[in-house]
Amino acid sequence: MAQSVVVVTGASSGIGAALARRLARDRHDVVLTARRIDRLEQLARELAAAHGIQATAIPSDLARPDGPATLVSELDRRGLEVDWLVNNAGFATAGRFDRLPIDRELEEIRLNVKAPVDLTGRLLPGMVARRRGVVMNVASVAGFGPMPYTATYAATKAFLLSFSEALAVELSGTGVRVVCVCPGFTRTEFQEKAKIAASVMPSFTWMSAEQVADQAVRAAGHSGVLVNGTMNSLTTVFMRLAPRGLVARVAAAAMRGRV
Amino acid sequence: MARDIALVTGASSGIGEALARRLARDGLDLGLVARRAERLEALASELRAGNGVQVDVLPADLTRSGAVAELVEELARRSLDVDWLVNNAGFGTVGPFHTMPVERELEEIALNVEALVELTGRLVLPMVRRHRGVVMNVASVGAYLPSPNMATYAATKAFVLSFTEAIAVELQDSGVSVLCVCPGVTRTEFQERAHIDTGYVPAFIQQTADEVADEAVRSVGRGPVVVNGVLNRISLGALKFLPHVLTTRIAGGIVRPQEP
Repeated sequence: MAQSVVVVTGASSGIGAALARRLARDRHDVVLTARRIDRLEQLARELAAAHGIQATAIPSDLARPDGPATLVSELDRRGLEVDWLVNNAGFATAGRFDRLPIDRELEEIRLNVKAPVDLTGRLLPGMVARRRGVVMNVASVAGFGPMPYTATYAATKAFLLSFSEALAVELSGTGVRVVCVCPGFTRTEFQEKAKIAASVMPSFTWMSAEQVADQAVRAAGHSGVLVNGTMNSLTTVFMRLAPRGLVARVAAAAMRGRV
Repeated sequence: MARDIALVTGASSGIGEALARRLARDGLDLGLVARRAERLEALASELRAGNGVQVDVLPADLTRSGAVAELVEELARRSLDVDWLVNNAGFGTVGPFHTMPVERELEEIALNVEALVELTGRLVLPMVRRHRGVVMNVASVGAYLPSPNMATYAATKAFVLSFTEAIAVELQDSGVSVLCVCPGVTRTEFQERAHIDTGYVPAFIQQTADEVADEAVRSVGRGPVVVNGVLNRISLGALKFLPHVLTTRIAGGIVRPQEP
């Protein structure tokens, strides 16, 4: 019989690693994927030992055009049936768009947008046929409105948010749940790599990756959008109701000089 | 010496063709991009004869990776400077996402999102250096509403809206105007090819491609976004105050696959 697993992309650090830990604690067998195999294997060993579950590390480069298809064939080859797909892998670029190298922007779109659509497209029919499953897409508060100086990143998250909301409605009654998780500022390696200064936001608004992951898993009982934390929820209400031009200006003022 | 053109993608039909006609009427030389070379040639002859402008036909399949870079090289080879970039090319797939071939969904993202970002990335820098230029990105009212049965399409347009609004602020003092155009239901081949039934959308809400193109060109320099049509503006303004779960269901009722 096929073994049911939770697949977490971008599992080598940050929110992805926290989600993998949280799901392992709930006794799910997990498949961890990311580019950095040594970090994945270390985390897999740790989770297997701590929770008595099976944890498998499969390296993949989901920003490559054939990355998602290769990962899905590997899951098939190992007889793993995906019960939860956690599309968490992603990165951000920061700076004025016309000064950023275009190849990196396109890679960002492939990883943040095409990989989740590709993986969801390949794994969803199986979930619908089995009448169960969870697709969890990790977007961001940035998905709620335009963000100058991280224009492409915010747009990729606006894509994921819109896509997830539509999918949730399409799949109501199928037994498959779609959850879109929108964290705000979270203490991870992510900001460091995007070279966004942490000082933009007051420290009380920051959450840990563990808090984000815990809320995400608890929200997965129903389809819907989860904005992590009260401050972030209020921010997204403002972003949806205020004129979008104003949202862009506020975002620009917060980002300018810090990228 | 280099010559300035307005580069219009997806110019062989619909809103793209209407935008090309509108800009030719204003006396701009054009570069027309689409896959169907013979349709572009026919349009080019007509616009040259009717408006006395120069028109370059640049056939390209922008869903193909590498196509944008080749197009930009071809522009350089012909000594054409892009003064207006009109990112209009795009298509929509219709149906429940899990029943759709994923390759086609990825092609939709390649055209609606990647080609637009890549063309903007490769052509905006020379505009910034010259302190002038126009970037016009054609999105859709679907950018504001997640759309069941058109999940990928609406998401690509949400991308285009967010991206365009953000770069409009970044470039506000650069001399380059950035505009996101959001048409509603428009009478073009688009609906036909996407197999969407729009017959139940009252005729007075539907616009022609010419109306959309005219409103778009007149809106350049007047703010980052134009939602086409008074009724679409009113509807979106009102929908904003409803819960998103509800508006998503409403959108799901509007986008209906055509009965076979």
